[in-house]
Amino acid sequence: MELNEFDKDMTAATFAQAGAHEDARSMMADSGTKQPVRPLAQKKKPVLGMVVFGALSLSLYVGLMVNQGWIMDVFTKGGPYTFWPLGTAMVFSFIHGAFASNILSVMGIEARKH
Amino acid sequence: MKRLLFLLFGILLIIPSAPVMGAGGDGPPKDMMKGVFVAVDAPSRTATFINGQTDATLILTLGEGMTAGDITLDKKVMVSLDKHAGEGIIKDVSVMFLDMTVGRVAALLLIGLIGGLLSGFIGFGGAFVLTPAMMSLGVPGAIAVASNMCHKFPKAMVGAYKRYKYGQADIKLGLIMAVTAIIGVQIGIRIQKYILSQWGNAGSNLYVSVVFVLVLLLVGIYVFYDAYKLSKGGGDPQTPKLAQALMKINLPPMIEFKVAKVRISAWVTIPVGLMTGMLAATIAVGGFIGVPGMIYIVGASAMVASATELIIAFIMGAWGSLQWGMSGLIDIRLTLLILAGSLVGVQLGALGTTYVKDHVIKIVMASVMVIVAVSRGAKIPGYLADLGLRGRLEPQMASLLEGVSFWALIAALGFATVIIAAAMIKGMVDARAEERVKSLEAGVSHG
Repeated sequence: MELNEFDKDMTAATFAQAGAHEDARSMMADSGTKQPVRPLAQKKKPVLGMVVFGALSLSLYVGLMVNQGWIMDVFTKGGPYTFWPLGTAMVFSFIHGAFASNILSVMGIEARKH
Repeated sequence: MKRLLFLLFGILLIIPSAPVMGAGGDGPPKDMMKGVFVAVDAPSRTATFINGQTDATLILTLGEGMTAGDITLDKKVMVSLDKHAGEGIIKDVSVMFLDMTVGRVAALLLIGLIGGLLSGFIGFGGAFVLTPAMMSLGVPGAIAVASNMCHKFPKAMVGAYKRYKYGQADIKLGLIMAVTAIIGVQIGIRIQKYILSQWGNAGSNLYVSVVFVLVLLLVGIYVFYDAYKLSKGGGDPQTPKLAQALMKINLPPMIEFKVAKVRISAWVTIPVGLMTGMLAATIAVGGFIGVPGMIYIVGASAMVASATELIIAFIMGAWGSLQWGMSGLIDIRLTLLILAGSLVGVQLGALGTTYVKDHVIKIVMASVMVIVAVSRGAKIPGYLADLGLRGRLEPQMASLLEGVSFWALIAALGFATVIIAAAMIKGMVDARAEERVKSLEAGVSHG
């Protein structure tokens, strides 16, 4: 699973979200220093990651919408049932976040390399 | 030090289980009933209601100005009662969970994308955009706040964990700030409740708006000034003078923060956390005070402060989501749909920052803050009139101010989105041209 790119982008995103643009910038720009440097044109695009996480993400969302009746009943019962929405949000954020990161890379929208 | 942390947690546990919600409004409403209307009788102006929590069947009376058409049958609703008017008189009814039409799904994805874009680019914006936008789609306020909060904390958790691994997040500072901020939230809520009981809704709205406008204008203007200094090539990365002076105060207990490389009195750290929480309970954006507080008062670097803020955001967000979730107010469909848009938006926004100069980010940030302050400020005359502190507004004036308030918010969003998109496209085109020139030069020198 190509989680490295996702980890890096999520971290940089949260850096930027917290106002640390400099950190986000350098983090996104310095991926090449830890991995073997490849010429930009030959950089492998995470197509497989995009497809796998995209399919997973889509099936989760379709599952949610198709089963929204009973899901909403169970998830809004309150009390100990609270852990359902909280856990679900975490699972979706990992899987959909990985997809979002990969699709941006495949589309060629990447951080500027300094 | 451990004793201090235990003491803080102890205080937190002793505080009665008042609603704690981290950054977002004034906690789950307690004087509201959830349930389903099964029948309505127009001539007698009564409706039969089954309380979802107790399963009791109640006969409620329609409040002033309500009609039988305002009662939605066979759907989960939230009912607030008008206690001043008498027993069992309905003040307001709202459908808890909307039907998800294709239009609403698309709107939520778009709202999430814009909210995420702003968050990724300028570091905040979700709270301004997501909650009001969801409310304008017809989502009740409490559900909008709860669902928004539930989408934020998993993102903060991932970030906090990563930054801890990079050795940038100061867990001790984060814990102390989070615990004191949660206590601050309690204080903030008590102030809110006092104002609400003394001056009613209009007083509460006026208080929130005035604090909001003041904070946004002050911070916005400061950020403009900072951006101006940066664009002139200035900027001072050293520990701010105020923090240096405060570090010299040797008032026990002294706390050492190893990651932040700071040794400072608890009497300095704790008020920063309290203020963060109080502000979070008032205007739903505690980070405004938390990050600058950690930088300018505690003396942490911007990198450590922003990393530590993620720990605070995670703890407060998880705590808040738990509280709201316990009341069954999180609409997971809303949470996940805005999450879908915002995960893309936040990464696009963060990428965008790599194509622009620092002062551009700060200019966008300051502009959004000032425009949002105008949007909120336009509501103040109305609240003043509600309180009888000024004459009634002319209908024309009232609708003009409403228009200014609404369109200022739209302008802020549009402005930020256009600037970010334009800066990114220009930056990418320039970067590609630069690369082409470099590869041509390399080709020439090899050939």
